[in-house]
Amino acid sequence: MIEIKDLTYTYPEAENAAVRDISLHIKKGECVLFVGPSGSGKSTVLYCLNGLIPHIFAGNVKGSVTVEGISPQGVPIAELSKTVGTVFQNHESQIFMPTVEEDVAFGCENLLMARDAIIGRRDAAIEAMGLQDVRYAGTDTLSGGMKQRLAISSIYAMGPRLFLFDEPTADLDEEGRRDLVGILKKLKAAHHTIIVAEHRYDDLLPVADRVLFFEKGRVTEGVRKAGKGSSAAGGTNRAGNGAPHIELRNISFGYNRKAPVLENISLKIEKGEMVAICGNNGSGKTTLLKVMAAILRPVSGEAVIGGITNPALDDIVGSVGFLFQNPDEQLFTGSVEEELMFGPKRLGKKIDVGRYLKMAGLDSMMRRHPQTLSRGQRQLLAVLSVLAMEPQILLLDEPTTGLDDGTWHDLFRILRELTCTGRTVVFSTHHRRARELSDRVIALDRKGVTADAVF
Amino acid sequence: MRYSDKKTIFHRLDPRTKIILSVGCACLIVIARSPAGLFLLFAALLCCFLGMRPSAATLRTTAKMMGAVFALTVISQGFFYYFEPRTPLFVLLEKGSGLPGRLTGGIALYKEGLVYGMVQSMRLFSAAVMSMIIVMSTYPSDLVLGLKRLGVPEKIAFMLTMGIRFLPAIMEESRRIMTAQKLRGLKIKGVKGNFAAFRSLIVPLITDSLRHGRRIALAAEVRGFTGTRTEIKNLKFAWLDWSALFTVITVVGVSITCRFYR
Repeated sequence: MIEIKDLTYTYPEAENAAVRDISLHIKKGECVLFVGPSGSGKSTVLYCLNGLIPHIFAGNVKGSVTVEGISPQGVPIAELSKTVGTVFQNHESQIFMPTVEEDVAFGCENLLMARDAIIGRRDAAIEAMGLQDVRYAGTDTLSGGMKQRLAISSIYAMGPRLFLFDEPTADLDEEGRRDLVGILKKLKAAHHTIIVAEHRYDDLLPVADRVLFFEKGRVTEGVRKAGKGSSAAGGTNRAGNGAPHIELRNISFGYNRKAPVLENISLKIEKGEMVAICGNNGSGKTTLLKVMAAILRPVSGEAVIGGITNPALDDIVGSVGFLFQNPDEQLFTGSVEEELMFGPKRLGKKIDVGRYLKMAGLDSMMRRHPQTLSRGQRQLLAVLSVLAMEPQILLLDEPTTGLDDGTWHDLFRILRELTCTGRTVVFSTHHRRARELSDRVIALDRKGVTADAVF
Repeated sequence: MRYSDKKTIFHRLDPRTKIILSVGCACLIVIARSPAGLFLLFAALLCCFLGMRPSAATLRTTAKMMGAVFALTVISQGFFYYFEPRTPLFVLLEKGSGLPGRLTGGIALYKEGLVYGMVQSMRLFSAAVMSMIIVMSTYPSDLVLGLKRLGVPEKIAFMLTMGIRFLPAIMEESRRIMTAQKLRGLKIKGVKGNFAAFRSLIVPLITDSLRHGRRIALAAEVRGFTGTRTEIKNLKFAWLDWSALFTVITVVGVSITCRFYR
């Protein structure tokens, strides 16, 4: 099915090759995992297979790639998309049409198939991926897991024999990931060839025939045990003493009166605790964090944050730090240094920029524009720029999304240092490992807090 | 304001008819000069709008917005009407009274200004109501398809689709960025604060949109988008469309004749 020989590729204006001397043979019907940190070349190989390299990314390609005897370099991407289907990480940017039904047909319409053929394929794909119930629904009303499923079925409708998944699970909760594994099994049973590039692959091992490890553009094959990763950032710290930092008493909140998101939630979080809030998408994790950050006001009940009852946002600026999921929405300035100074300057605080940057190994990047850093670095910088305001409470919404192991490790080391100095850290997550690194886990679902365990 | 799935007469019209209707309506807005004529046009459109049974919330916001715009337009036109002849209804500041009087040339409320304000707001409201009718009764992709069938190139139509699809997401994103700014201690007050807030909103918004745009472009490439597509949806002209077209053409024709050949 796939034959790669001595592939070396360098992105335009890059000094080093993104992948170097890669040779691979993948049989028809195989399911192969590409694993490795960000920038290790996983996606680059996928781009060589679906034609984005060299048709969209110019650069320098050496070696040969063939998919079912076709050389992706020699055919236009649209032509190739009949054989090679690609599903990306961000489901938001893969959905083009306002309704599910229209979006599934989108690809086939582009391939200029006959009308009846499009309708047939569309209906088959909707059936195969179990989207019948939401067929006429607006795409913006779907949950993350359903959007992913829609993205896959839109590719499925185009009838490719090779499916490429570029970090498909990063934005999915546990339910969504289980769902994805089910779909992969189904595709495999239908003899499709599958390649999945992922940081976190424990969940995917049951479907995989082979695992290929990428590092710095090279590939090694092997059956490495599903690693839990290093736990140097572990080690609990129960500095919990004195008055609670956050106390919620019978909090309820809803965006509209008919459907409350949080109902009668009561909990106490003590000073120095590191708490993970987990639950599936839509369980109210983010809403709960926003109530703690005074971004949202509870409809009923009391939220005591750092000693203030039901504070307004202005009351807690500086003492409570909040990090949104997407770091890019929180980097406003022209340089890394300015970014760190942004908050403290407005609070009239002086800080040691170098010390903060060293915490995340960003000290050599002081003058860089924040938006030119890598995704992991941007995430760390966003955390640091909130930390620089020296908040007593740090709230983070899904801070681990899309991070590779190295950045993950750095992040938890920084958070742990914080709790050791008596600050409180609360974050939402749907990653099992992140939960293991915290002192306490609060499980949330639509009914409210279902479990609260201290380790 | 978005599409609401109902079965009104406007929902049954072909999107092309609706586009032509709105063009016709725009012609009428420009042609009609008499307050009575414009009011008639506005009243007719308003009846159509109400016939679509908009929700109470939509009605409330629409009424509030129109009330505010109407008051503002009428009052400002009333005071700052420059054309002659003008009849002052009452005088706020005499022409010759001291320095302010001499500087401003006097301030008075003019009858013709009030009328002119009413005429202008009727024009504005007619256009607004017409577009609301279209938005509420036409599915976004049908509207784009209608434009395409009327000769708008595929690529531009596709951009429109993307705009409709991603605009809400961009609005949501700017809201999050502004909250993040506030949490980092930015006080959005006064000209300076607003300027700082705007500057630090625009940078992440643009870079993130560019990244997002790039991801969309890649996703569109692998889904075979080249700019030519087969549409599985079909548009059909029914007798209702023909009669609507006939009506609008007649009304516009008659109005033009009355206006220029009287």
